[in-house]
Amino acid sequence: MLNIRNVRINYGEKTACSNISLDVKTGESVSIIGKSGCGKTSLLYAIAGLLPVAEGSISIDGGTESCSIMFQQDRLLPWKKVIDNIVLGLEKKMRSEAQALLDRMGLSTYRDNYPDQLSGGERQRVALARSLIRAPKLLLLDEPLASLDEQTRELLQDDIKDYIVSKGITLLLVTHSIQEALYMGSKIVVMTNNGFVHAIENPIFHEVLMRGRSEFFSLEKSLRKALKGV
Amino acid sequence: MNYIKGAFAVLLFWYLTAWMIASPIIPFPHLVIKYLIDNFLTGSLHLHVLFSLYRIVTGIAIALLLAIPTGMFTGRIRALDQVISPVLYLLYPLPKIAFLPVFMVLFGIGDISKIILIALIIYFPAAVHIRDGVKSIPLQYFELGLACRLSPKNIVKDIMWPAMLPQLFSSLRITLGISLSVLFVSENYAATYGMGYHIMNNWVMANYIGMYGGIVLLSCTGLGLYILIDTIEHVAIPYKNTARRKTLSI
Repeated sequence: MLNIRNVRINYGEKTACSNISLDVKTGESVSIIGKSGCGKTSLLYAIAGLLPVAEGSISIDGGTESCSIMFQQDRLLPWKKVIDNIVLGLEKKMRSEAQALLDRMGLSTYRDNYPDQLSGGERQRVALARSLIRAPKLLLLDEPLASLDEQTRELLQDDIKDYIVSKGITLLLVTHSIQEALYMGSKIVVMTNNGFVHAIENPIFHEVLMRGRSEFFSLEKSLRKALKGV
Repeated sequence: MNYIKGAFAVLLFWYLTAWMIASPIIPFPHLVIKYLIDNFLTGSLHLHVLFSLYRIVTGIAIALLLAIPTGMFTGRIRALDQVISPVLYLLYPLPKIAFLPVFMVLFGIGDISKIILIALIIYFPAAVHIRDGVKSIPLQYFELGLACRLSPKNIVKDIMWPAMLPQLFSSLRITLGISLSVLFVSENYAATYGMGYHIMNNWVMANYIGMYGGIVLLSCTGLGLYILIDTIEHVAIPYKNTARRKTLSI
């Protein structure tokens, strides 16, 4: 689905990250964790076509058209109603699909509200709907739940995971949270400015109630150890 | 309700001043109000108001038609900003009213020279305001536009235009006061209709009640235009009126 080969990304004069290589299979969920400033967001932006690649190559099945990005901040346009934010750049006939997504996310009554009238969690749900309505084959999430409280975050993690698994969407998630990386990723990679240094498979990715399982804690422990080493 | 309170405060101040000075140069408000009612009933004031409104609305419309694209392009295209902005800064402080005789020679003594003067005075602050509005649009919105694959036309329609609308209305409010003052000056020359003409004509004839009638009329026209701008803004920027924003405003 996604092949990244020896990529270097510049951010202004500086190098954001280099030596980045990664293969993501269709339907796989990959979580990227790493210290602040290691270039995780830049990598996601480069995949989405929002940043140029200085060196190396990124290839996506279906091109950038087949991917959709959800940003760290919801970036809802304050002058557009919820429904219009979701169908931004799409044809009017997509409104019925947007309504279906709003129903699925429990936001059907908010369709004609402005973003200012929503809570943080509701806004992120709308931003998620905006990413999903494009029926992406590859979904890029840039710490989308970082600003939310724990309870809302876990609910949204469930929503996203259910949706991507049911639709077979490939996921690339950037996060600071080890627990989130584990819960959302069938594979977790640790990133530095100079490439990926560690990767672990998550054998309990599809398990129900995985957060309470002992394997979850041992995986978390090994990831913490890996992160300390970078 | 607030407008009525404001009008009462002005009337009270006016009455006190007229009573203290006790001179025909400051007549009592009720005499001026009676003059206005009488002259409106006979139809002799309508044309003055209509001519002034025609000049000011046309001047504002021309200024905005030019200022909106100037502001949008200079705000978004850095290379253009580097060329246009110094020109704007150079011409902005010029006392445009001084060019009225030049405009009269070039465009005649009729309405065109007056309208061009009003348009020119409004154009510069409006263009600078709109440019700053476009510059202050968060970069994230443009990234979002790219991520949602918006066409350049849709970036203007869905992001730039709605984002700069508050600045546009703010610049309209600022420039309306200036344009009313300019209207007054421009109607002093080669005009037979207009509120500026009416005020000065009555002043020359020492008809102070008529003069104050014209001043009140000009002031009420300004108030009416401000209310009109607020109403249009209310409709054009509905998200500013959400209950949450209203709760937060002091």
